[in-house]
This record gives sequence, C-alpha cells and structure tokens, in this order.
Amino acid sequence: MSVPALQVDNVSKDFGRIIALRSVNLSVNPGEFVSILGRNGAGKTTLLNIISGVSRPSEGSVLLFGTDPSDHDNKAKLAVISHEMFLYGNLTAVENLEYYAKIYELADATQRIQEVLNDVELTHRRFDLVSTYSRGMTQRLTIARALLHQPALLLLDEPFTGLDQHAIGMLISLLKSQKELGRTIILTTHDLHTAQELSDRYVVIAKHRIVKDGVMAETSPDVLRSEFFSAIGGEDDS
Amino acid sequence: MRSTIDKSLLIILLIAFLGCMFLIFSWVPPIKASNAAEQIAQRIFYFHVPSAWLGFLAFFVVFCSSVAYLSTRNRKWELISVASAEIGVLFISLVLITGPIWAKPVWGIWWTWDTRLTSSLVLWLIYVAYLMLRRYLPDGSKRANLSAVVGIIGFIDVPIVYYSIRWWETQHPKAVMASGDGSLAAPMFFVFMFSLATFTLLYVYLMRKRYQLLVLEDLVNKQFKEMEIL
Amino acid sequence: MMRAALAILKKDLRMEFRSKESILAMWIFSLLIFVIFNFTFEVSRLVMLEIAPGLLWVAFVFSGMFGLNQSFALEKENGNLRAMALMPVDGGQIYVGKFLSVTLIMLMFEALIFPIFIIFYDLQLSLEMLKLIPVILAGTIGFTSLGTILSAVAVHTRNQQILLSMLLWPLVSPIIIWSVTLTGMVVSGEVTPAFYPLLLRVGAFDVIFFTLSYMLFDFILED
Repeated sequence: MSVPALQVDNVSKDFGRIIALRSVNLSVNPGEFVSILGRNGAGKTTLLNIISGVSRPSEGSVLLFGTDPSDHDNKAKLAVISHEMFLYGNLTAVENLEYYAKIYELADATQRIQEVLNDVELTHRRFDLVSTYSRGMTQRLTIARALLHQPALLLLDEPFTGLDQHAIGMLISLLKSQKELGRTIILTTHDLHTAQELSDRYVVIAKHRIVKDGVMAETSPDVLRSEFFSAIGGEDDS
Repeated sequence: MRSTIDKSLLIILLIAFLGCMFLIFSWVPPIKASNAAEQIAQRIFYFHVPSAWLGFLAFFVVFCSSVAYLSTRNRKWELISVASAEIGVLFISLVLITGPIWAKPVWGIWWTWDTRLTSSLVLWLIYVAYLMLRRYLPDGSKRANLSAVVGIIGFIDVPIVYYSIRWWETQHPKAVMASGDGSLAAPMFFVFMFSLATFTLLYVYLMRKRYQLLVLEDLVNKQFKEMEIL
Repeated sequence: MMRAALAILKKDLRMEFRSKESILAMWIFSLLIFVIFNFTFEVSRLVMLEIAPGLLWVAFVFSGMFGLNQSFALEKENGNLRAMALMPVDGGQIYVGKFLSVTLIMLMFEALIFPIFIIFYDLQLSLEMLKLIPVILAGTIGFTSLGTILSAVAVHTRNQQILLSMLLWPLVSPIIIWSVTLTGMVVSGEVTPAFYPLLLRVGAFDVIFFTLSYMLFDFILED
C-alpha cells in the first residue's frame, strides 16, 4: 500500500477556553472521496484548517502525502472550496485566474485557464469584471479557481451552502470527474443526500470527536440518517 | 504551596511598603532646594522612577514571552504576555500621574511636550493599543499570534521612540543615578534602592496573581465547555 | 523568487488603476486637510512656512492610513486573506507584495498632491527641492513597512480603521518626527550637516521595520 494521502494521528486542537477537536484519527487513501458529516461548530472546519496547514494542532500529528501540511509542496497540491470566494471583484475572470496561475507557478497557464473556464461555462464572460457576475456565476468561477492548478487533494468546506441549483449540479459533476482522475477529495457537509451520492466513505464528527467511520456503499440512506442524527443528538437543527 | 508563596509575598510586600513610607517621608533628608514645595515634591521621585523602571521591565517581559509564544505556541506564554502588558500599562500610568504632580509645584505646569514626557506617553499608547487589539479580537490562536507580533514590534520600537524624541531639548531632570557629581547622596540612594526593590516585589506579586487568575478563567471556561459537550 | 510578490503587486496596481479609489480618495482627503487647517488656524505667512512641513506629513500620513485600510479590506472581502494563507509561498513574499503595492500607490498620491502643496504654501521651487525626494521616499517606506503588517493585524477586527490608527501612530512616530525635521530643513533652505546622517538614520530604521515585518508576517496568516 502506498503512502496515504492524509494521515491524521490523534489530533486535538484546544486553545485556552476553546475546544475544537479531541483526539481525531483519520486516514485517507489517494483517490478516496470522504465526507465529513456533522453539525455546525462540531469541529469540521477546524479539521480542514489543520489539514490544509493553516492551523496547527495542539496535539498529535498530520501528514499530507507523507510530509508536513505546511510544506509548500503540499500547499501547491491542495485546493480549498468554501463559502468564501477567494476572488477579486475588480478583476475579470481571466485576470483572477492569471493571478492564481502565477502564484501556483503553472507552466501552461493560458491553456489551463481556457480549460477551467470552459468547464464551468464562463468562457463567454471571461473578460467581464467579477463584480458584474451573478451569484451563481461567481460561485462557478470559485470552483474554476480551485481546480486551476489540478490539485491532488480537494478540501470542500460546506461547498453547497448558498449555491444555486445550476452551480450545485455543475459542482457535483465536476467532483465526479475529479474523482475519476484519481484526485483525493474530502468534503464536509450536513447534506446527507449529496454525501451519499458522491462519497466512498463517511465520517461523523460530533462534540469535537469522530464518532463514526463507515463505508458508504455498505450503508443504506436510512441507516446513514439514523446514525447521523443519533450521533449529533436530535434532528432539530441539522 | 502556591498560596503559601503568595501569602508570604504579600506579607513581605506590606512590610516593605510601610518601610518605604517611613524611609521616604520621615527618614531621608530633604534635598537642597530653593523652596519648600520643591523639597516635598521631590519625594515623589522614589515612586516615579521605580514605576518607570518596572514599566520597562514589564514590557520587556511582554517581548520575551511573545517570542516564546511564537516559538512554542504554548498558551502559558500568551497569558504571561497579557498579564505583563496590563501591569506595565499600570506602572507607566503611575509614571504619567506622578510626573505632573511633581511638575506642577516645580515647573509651574502640569504638562509640557518635553522629550521624556512625550516618549513616556507614546510608550503608554503603544501598549494600550496592544491591549485594545486583544479586546477587539475573539479568543483563539489567531488572537494569540496577532498580539504576539504586536508585542514584538512594539518593544523593538520603544528605544527608537526614545531616541527620536531626544531631538528635542529636555527639561526633565537628568537620570540622577548616572550623573557624576554625586547628586544623589548615600541615604537617598539607599531609599531609592529600597523603593525599587519593593516595586519589583509588587510586580512579581501582581504578575503571579494576574497569571493565576487568567489560568483559572481558562479552567472555568473549559469546564463549562466540557459540561456542554457531555 | 519574488514571483508571488510581483503577482500580488501587479494585481493590486491593476485594481487601483481600474478604480482609482485609493489615490483619488487620498488626494481629496489631503486637499481637505489643507483647507480645514486653513480654516482652523489663522497664521501669518511666516509661521505658515514653519508649520508647512508638519502639515505635509499630516496630509501624507492621514491619507496613507486610508490607503492601508483599503489595501487589506480588499483582501478580507472575499476571504482572500485565507487564500493567501493557503498559498504555497512564504508569508514574507506576501508581505513584500502588499508592501510594494501600498508604497507605490502612496508615492503616486504624494507626487500628485505635492504640486498643490507648493501652490498653497507658495514655496520656492529650486534644485534644493530635489532633496525632498529621498526624504519623502524614506519617510513613506518607513510608514508603509510598519503600516502593511499592522494593517494586516487590524483587518481581523471589526474596528479595523480605528485600531490601525491606534497601533500605527505611536509606533511610526519616530519616522514621522524625523521626516518632518528633514522636510523642514529643505523647505526653509537650511540643509545643515545634520541632514544626511539623519536621512541615513531614517533609512536604517526603514530596513529594521521592513525586516522585522518580513519575518513576522507568516504568523499573521496562520490561524
């Protein structure tokens, strides 16, 4: 077996009065699609921050492709999609992507930019300022930006929140094709339906711990539902 | 153990302060000055100067613990920084209060935009800004990082501020300890050192207490969090 | 090696030239400072000449605050600050990029307001005035090198603007004091032998502030 794409060993994050994660263990193989389920504030975002090397664990260790997540090599292999857009409204789509292409040192920038714009169907608006885009278009551009440098590991933090139907459909089909390309994908969500549709594995986080780690194919939607709600304690604000 | 240390510290402090009062107000001979008001006012020197020294010490501790925090990410160092910054601001506030009390009878004015006065005020402003920054940020590792960065830049800036404001002429009395003409007589020197030692003890005591309180706050908040979780 | 810094610089300048938001606002704000000053203090021409250097730096620095706030508000808007933390580059490079863009924008604004200053205060143009170029350059770099990192700190709070002022003013005061002194020497035509050592000193502290901020910027991006 090769090196796991992600190896989280006994990671805790607490700081002063804040407890965010407690002894989390997670191992993800290359090419795997893992959904992290849990209610808001359970520690999903903290876990993604630690995986992406932005935040440091107070205890335990994280290895990304066998090395430290804050290594530049690792950061170059990684992309994050969240509700934040990471785009500048006063630049056009192409200028935004050119900027990121330079930061990520892409050799074939022009071609890649055409490809991703094509993937998210924004080619016709590529020379317009992002601030003139509709919400859905901005979101599609956010996805294009994340895929620009062909990340080996995609981290998606509640990416479906606030997306319109068109963008959701597009993101799902793009994620499926990313998976076929052998990319590793970690998705946090509380949308069980989408998680079921996309992922190979699921992990439930409740009260800052991983309480369930299961294989999606072996779990029926009903079982997943009941497991999820019993873990997070009630259906009230899922 | 901890409380025994604190208790004995407190008792020593009380005795030392009483000793200070006696030494300053009845034992040490007054300076040779033109008027009585100045002779009385001069005694504030024994509070004013130790406060200033302790203020600097406190900010130096902020600097060291900020560096220690950034290299270890240990909450302990963050709490020490905050405690020391608060106490440092307290001491420099004392400097800024006792200074004008002395200046009014001697110079005839409360305040002048003089070198020492201005730089002490700027110093005070730097660390008030540090404390304000912490107030505006939510607790967490981000706040710890940001305030450590400011704690480091702030302290490195301090000598530069003093240096730059030296350009103006100063009316402020010379740092008497250093002057060669023996202007500080032996009994005065003794009282000054006694007062300095007492203030240092006060700093140590306040630091211990403030730090313990901050740790307790963390502990209580954590307990609440645990109860929520369980 | 400075590829990312240059990419950030290019992006910032492109946005600035497109909207001209910062430069225009800074320019008009400085104009306002001159006008308000004229309303609030009625002084003779001689006195005016004496306080003109201070006034020039008040205008520079107050307007510069606006530029600094703007520069990082832009990064915070769509979570770009987090995007920067995720970039495969050193925090130092990101600092250099932001520093360069803030500095260049401020220098452009200063070049545009300076003629107005000359006209308003009826200063005599001469070759001596060229000595102001290194003075303004050194003063501005000192201001922006500290300003860039402190703006990145302040942007994390809700009261970004007031907090930046509280942090930056006391810390940058040495640079401003010296810059005013140097400007005064040039404007009054009394460049003493103390001029060059003092200018050198400002330059030296620019280097200190820049290096310190360069080293510390990584910690600001980290969570």
